Amino acid sequence: MSVVTTTPSGLDAGARHDRRGSWLPSGAMITTRIMELRKRRGLMAAMAIVNIGIPVIFLTIRLVAHAVAPKSYGPAGGYDVFTSLVAGVMFVFGFIVAAAVGCTAGSIDLTEGMFRHLVITGRSRLALYFARIPAGLAIVIPMVATGFVIVCAVCVFAAPTTLHYQGVAVPAGLSEPGLENWAAQHSAEVVCGFPTRGPVNVACFIGPNGKVVTPPGQNIPTLKTIPRATLKADAVMIAHEDYADYKNYFLSPPVPLMIKSGLWIELEAIIGFVVGLGLASLMGQRTVPVILMIILEIILTPLLSRNVIPHLINVQRGIVGLAVAHLEPGGLPQVFGGGGPGSGDHLVPESTTVAIVVIVAWLVGWTALGAWRMATRDA
Amino acid sequence: MSATVLDDAQPARSDFEWAVETHGLTKRFGDNVAVNGVDLRVPRGCAFGYLGPNGAGKTTLIRVLLGLTHADAGTMSMLGHEVPRHRDLALARVGAIVDEPRFHGHLTGRQNLEILAAAREPAARGRIAASLERVGMSQRADDRVAKYSMGMRQRLGVAACLLGDPQLLILDEPMNGLDPAGMHEMRDMIKSLVDEGRTVMLSSHLLDEVERTCDAVAIVDRGNVIRQGSIAELLAGSDVEVHVVCSSSQRAQTILTSALSGARIDVEGEELTIHLPAGTDRDVIAEINRQLVHDGIDVYHLQQIQVSLESWFLSVTSRLGESE
Repeated sequence: MSVVTTTPSGLDAGARHDRRGSWLPSGAMITTRIMELRKRRGLMAAMAIVNIGIPVIFLTIRLVAHAVAPKSYGPAGGYDVFTSLVAGVMFVFGFIVAAAVGCTAGSIDLTEGMFRHLVITGRSRLALYFARIPAGLAIVIPMVATGFVIVCAVCVFAAPTTLHYQGVAVPAGLSEPGLENWAAQHSAEVVCGFPTRGPVNVACFIGPNGKVVTPPGQNIPTLKTIPRATLKADAVMIAHEDYADYKNYFLSPPVPLMIKSGLWIELEAIIGFVVGLGLASLMGQRTVPVILMIILEIILTPLLSRNVIPHLINVQRGIVGLAVAHLEPGGLPQVFGGGGPGSGDHLVPESTTVAIVVIVAWLVGWTALGAWRMATRDA
Repeated sequence: MSATVLDDAQPARSDFEWAVETHGLTKRFGDNVAVNGVDLRVPRGCAFGYLGPNGAGKTTLIRVLLGLTHADAGTMSMLGHEVPRHRDLALARVGAIVDEPRFHGHLTGRQNLEILAAAREPAARGRIAASLERVGMSQRADDRVAKYSMGMRQRLGVAACLLGDPQLLILDEPMNGLDPAGMHEMRDMIKSLVDEGRTVMLSSHLLDEVERTCDAVAIVDRGNVIRQGSIAELLAGSDVEVHVVCSSSQRAQTILTSALSGARIDVEGEELTIHLPAGTDRDVIAEINRQLVHDGIDVYHLQQIQVSLESWFLSVTSRLGESE
């Protein structure tokens, strides 16, 4: 069998209308790049373990523990579990794994000797570079999304049916009148345990066993000295005030929060991939860029995000991790800050506009650097 | 980088004389001049050998031609297209192996070719099976490249070259890693490619292989092309060697030295090696025999030695060394 014989008249007929010099990659180039990355079993396994395996193992252990000893171990899902996993695990690990994929995509043609084969095809080097971006994202985004969807599903379907709110056992899923009605029947627990304090000044709190404790020797009214109707009205008012908080913090995470959180961790993963791709293309290798990306995410960004250095504050604002942290959806514990919900004041201050500009600059800048190096380096 | 479209606005040239043409091509690495003002012309439709010792600059010139690295000076064209200006047009019909062929080890041979075909025109994908068949890799095409021997990777490299239905193939040391049977197959394949009207330019330091395979050669040493032309023409310009075994070699040397002006005669035991200037008529050889017999010397053996490309190459490069 022989390959199609060339005739002088048909020399370039096959190549006619082939935009080989264009910087735009063809669909076939992107598809084969996806195949090349997907076939890297080690990389894919590592991605799956970190993005899917860790949350799945964590949630499975919680499910089993709760099924075996429900009084000792709380439900596997719920708002708190969701927010902890998203801000504590998926955000950071998603970035690192995406960066590893980006560094692989950016360097592996060079290190494995395929780059020169590709250059010899006459295809634009920019097109060879740009083909890696959609190909890598086609792997990173679904992988991060899969892990996130599993977390969402467990947190919704394994959400608690009874909860302890500030130490008070409260039934889940109550409507506002329902909560107020429940509060009227449990006025002492509400007055002593709920975050909001009513006009009635009572010296009490909820003890470790969930029962109301009245500290002795205080010169303020006790539960016994306050009329029952006053206490009841106070409890209903507190329930009314705290309902929004109750609704947000109990049961499953709200759908808008899940959507925003999903987009937010995908943004972080996309940044990790694009920066990793550019850095590895610039350096022509994988290992050092991966290490640099991990250092950036785990050491540099938390340090520079939490402590204001007066003369370097604008440099700090240029850190992409800080910029992404400023776009964090409300209701999640602060990433890099280590605090709970509402502790956003730990971050170096930055406006949303500046944060967006910083993110775009990182994406465009590293893509340009990587593309420039691939277009000019010896193959 | 501008986008060049292969369409009617830039019609392919089919009237070009040289598959590869360079003028004053120069490539430096710091103070080291790897390619030094090379003027090279590779005729269309032939097998062309680019010969030189290790470190002579063979691979560097190929890398410059293919756009793997940039030239510091000079002009070049491939298949009638100016390079690097129309590199995409030129390379659309060029297949090449440079250095050791390396591929993604975790993919199969076929998958590696799919990646390369995707970077070419859509029709290239349809040539994968035929290319693998042609290099004898169909049976192993679905094995991972990590399991391939050096020779198999070399074959896969040739298959990759064929994806673009190339008019010009540039093969850098294509015999590396091949066993004798593989070398024989490679030789046959190069001949068949040339028979189809393609041009094959191969660089090698294996002179014997080049002599068997190529119609024309260029000799490169220290970045300079010192000779180029058809092998027959080049060898015709080399010294004539005559090997003689006779009864009295010392006497024969004395007789022939006075009889043959411009000849150099080496003696070793009963054997004489007579070096005659290029272009010496073969009647002179008959005259040597007559003269020796006439002077009473028994001649047991007399043979004109066919100068091989290898000995010619060594004489040319050594002369170059002496002149320096």
